[in-house]
Amino acid sequence: MTKLRTTTLIAAAAMIVAPTLSLAQDGMARAKERLSAYTSKPEFVAPGEPFDIKQCAAGKKMLSIPNNSANPFLKGIIDRMKTVGDKIGLEVVEWENQGQPSQWVQGFDYAVRDGFDVIDLISGISPDTVEPQIKAANEAGIKVMTSHFYDPSFEPNPLLSSSLPIGFNEIGRILANWITVNTDGKGRVALIVSREVPPTIPLVDGFTEELAENCPDCEIAQEINVGVAEWGTKIQPSVQSALQADPDIDVVVPIYDSMSQFVVPALRLTGKLGQVKVATFNGTPFVLDFIQQGAVSMDIGESLDWIAYATVDGHMRDLCGLPVPDKLNVPFYIFDESNATDAGTPAEFDTGYGDAYVSGFAKLWGLE
Amino acid sequence: MTTQARAHAAARRMRLFERYALLVVWALLIIGFSLALPNSFPRWGNFSILFASYAPAALLALAIIIPLTSGDYDLSVGAVMTLSSCLIAVLNAWAGLPILLCLLLAVLAGVVVGLFHAFFIVYVRIPSLVVTLGSTSLISGVVQWFTKSSTIGGIDNALIMSVVGGRLFGVPYAFYYAFAAVVILWYVFDYTPLGRRLLFVGRGREVARLNGIAVERVRVGALVASSVVASCAGILYAGVLGSADPYSGLNYLLPAFAAAFLGSTTIMPGRFNPWGAMVAVYFLGTGITGLTMLGIPLWVTNVFNGGALILAVTISQLTRGREAPDIG
Repeated sequence: MTKLRTTTLIAAAAMIVAPTLSLAQDGMARAKERLSAYTSKPEFVAPGEPFDIKQCAAGKKMLSIPNNSANPFLKGIIDRMKTVGDKIGLEVVEWENQGQPSQWVQGFDYAVRDGFDVIDLISGISPDTVEPQIKAANEAGIKVMTSHFYDPSFEPNPLLSSSLPIGFNEIGRILANWITVNTDGKGRVALIVSREVPPTIPLVDGFTEELAENCPDCEIAQEINVGVAEWGTKIQPSVQSALQADPDIDVVVPIYDSMSQFVVPALRLTGKLGQVKVATFNGTPFVLDFIQQGAVSMDIGESLDWIAYATVDGHMRDLCGLPVPDKLNVPFYIFDESNATDAGTPAEFDTGYGDAYVSGFAKLWGLE
Repeated sequence: MTTQARAHAAARRMRLFERYALLVVWALLIIGFSLALPNSFPRWGNFSILFASYAPAALLALAIIIPLTSGDYDLSVGAVMTLSSCLIAVLNAWAGLPILLCLLLAVLAGVVVGLFHAFFIVYVRIPSLVVTLGSTSLISGVVQWFTKSSTIGGIDNALIMSVVGGRLFGVPYAFYYAFAAVVILWYVFDYTPLGRRLLFVGRGREVARLNGIAVERVRVGALVASSVVASCAGILYAGVLGSADPYSGLNYLLPAFAAAFLGSTTIMPGRFNPWGAMVAVYFLGTGITGLTMLGIPLWVTNVFNGGALILAVTISQLTRGREAPDIG
């Protein structure tokens, strides 16, 4: 009788546990499969039909206004866009600024006065803050476009001629799947975010949804929201406190990799450097150096040169009346200890991604 | 006991309360967080990390109180700290110079900045607020130029090890450097003629001059010392982070000023004093640590910092019978 009862209990327990286990195993398999697309060298996929870009760009001028010229990431993209422009006969000019909206307004005035054909608001300037200027530019016959700013889920400002969004939601999903795979489906996460930055919302949404779907036993133990201006003073003490309060945290996710500058010292001081995994996004060179030193576990990167090519491609398609791609045609690539040295020592912005896009775009644009 | 004697005793008690009020509130804060977080907050490991990570901020607060004592503001300490940490990173990680030489050059840069300030403030007689505000912008621009606006990692591990690698009683060395600076400054302020001269110059330049004090020389010395201590804060900052960037250090200016003013309400109320500044830095640090451990959103810490400063200065002022403040 007792034996029968025990067997029944085991069977009942198995019926409860088995689906949970199977759910976790399915999630793990899904996470591995989805992650694999980002672990091999990116391949070029044409963003649209071939076209004669030289004919389209002949005699045209584009003014690129970055969020802030002091940002080396944006500066790097624009410098490379100038090089691409030289190849196809497009004059690309940067409107140098220090992140002040009054300077962006001046940029619009300059573009109208100097007869530019395109204004590119690159990565960070919300079109909502310069609406009167966009209207004035449109009236002067200038097409205003954004790149590397919206998530595909966002509704672009209707005054824009076109937009080349970037998959921030996709980045969140990659981070979630990486954690699922690298913590055996049991990650306990401290998530560091800056909710004032618009892309943060789709990124965090993607992260939480994917984690819930593929990693039922993973948990976001603490979300730390730090304004960009306070990264230097708040991230380190907050991460230290989080790790002290909850020693079981085994992954820290600073969603933008420049945050890791303050996460790494927090790990060092709490004696957790090398034990707690750090997963992040942006491919900034000093963070790729951190991977080589074993302080950071992974960083999702994008090639600046690839971004430059894809931005010019998308904007020229719009200028010449061709269909514009749904999103910026730039693949994400995961750097970890196995390939971080490919980025150079010390790491550089454009190294390690391969060069499939150079010949790909050349062929697409009829340059070969 | 006569009425007068009773009044004297009451005044003495009030002074004593004022002197140690911040320490008492700090202790209450620690007790409060310990009760709320019994398993994580009251641990030596937690305090050792707190002591080390706020060491650069403590040094920066000390840099501020030197010229404040002699009557000048130095708003550039955050920029000088950034200049120093970035110089170390560029010279060491990019140019490959030995780390000791880099540290020496960083301190030398502090001397140069201090002399630059002194020239315009003391000899050209431009208000210190204007000169140091201008130089903050100037230094920030130069730092952005030579760092190419990027974060630089790969600073010699020897610096990291000597700042946060080694520990004494479980506390990283960084804290002891700041502690040593407090002891030195306390000795100079309280036990040397130089300290007295600094105070006299700050309280009344003309009176000090009539008493034969070389006012200009004292002010120049205070401004140079401030920049040198800020450079040393930059060394600690580079050691704690193991990297340097041209922006984050600038944000330490306001917390350091808050600590300097909060510190002037304790230990030696009414006077900028090194022990008070250090207690204030760690009091504010304890608040941030405890609140973060409780999972409270970080904007609350700003409210805590600002509220604590205004409350402490108000209490200090009230206990002294709303007499005219010595500061500001």
